[in-house]
Amino acid sequence: MLRINITSVPVDDQEKALDFYTNVLGFLKKTEVPMGEHKWLTVVSPLEQSGVELLLEPMAFEPAKIYQKALKDAGIPWTSFAVEDIYKEHERLLALNVHFSVPPKEVGAVIIAVLDDTCGNYIQLVQTL
Amino acid sequence: MPKGCKTYYEQEVERIFAHAQLAQKPYLQLRRSKQFMQTNYPKKISITQIAEAAFLSSSHYIRMFKQVYGITPRQYLRDLRISKAKQLLQDGSSATRACFEVGYESLTMFSTAFKRATGVSPKKYQKMNLRNLE
Repeated sequence: MLRINITSVPVDDQEKALDFYTNVLGFLKKTEVPMGEHKWLTVVSPLEQSGVELLLEPMAFEPAKIYQKALKDAGIPWTSFAVEDIYKEHERLLALNVHFSVPPKEVGAVIIAVLDDTCGNYIQLVQTL
Repeated sequence: MPKGCKTYYEQEVERIFAHAQLAQKPYLQLRRSKQFMQTNYPKKISITQIAEAAFLSSSHYIRMFKQVYGITPRQYLRDLRISKAKQLLQDGSSATRACFEVGYESLTMFSTAFKRATGVSPKKYQKMNLRNLE
């Protein structure tokens, strides 16, 4: 049976992305393999270190940059991460100067918030109620 | 984007939620039932008891829960128990102890559910995660 082991976010600068995803969001670096001018660079949640990896994928393909920008301009998150306490996380990230396009907002069975990852994407945080 | 101006995405979220079929009260009832499961998962609990926590009949409750969360209450309870078992295994508990502490009455049923949820047996999961802590 197939299993999902990786997902990705496109980033405009892998070093900047690694700094944001580890030092700001709190993920851990899992793999870093040099591949020409870029790297195979993944992070994981400290809570699921053998779980799904997030690939910080270099955005080197021009048409993909257009797609990424169109999503960003519409405020549409590239992907979504789960969080236990969204208000606490929002406060923590605001203190680290993270910009939120959507502050915590209760919508039915979840609370969502959307942040700017500084690498070309919006990312949604979700707390299930 | 100017400050205070909502993105297309935020407007869409609001539009979809405004058309949601449920009013606020049922959400609160469903949350009560989730809290009931989060408190009582180590015990043997029936769907009837869980539905009673939401003040709903079992069939109506199951239908509403699935409508809101996308899974049945039984699936939610199983995921909750497996999640708690993963924590116990990471902390060094044996598979047998984890099994009974999260409300399973049979080690075979627990191991089958665990493997189905995580892809590995409880013992293998523990080995993988202890290795990660080294």
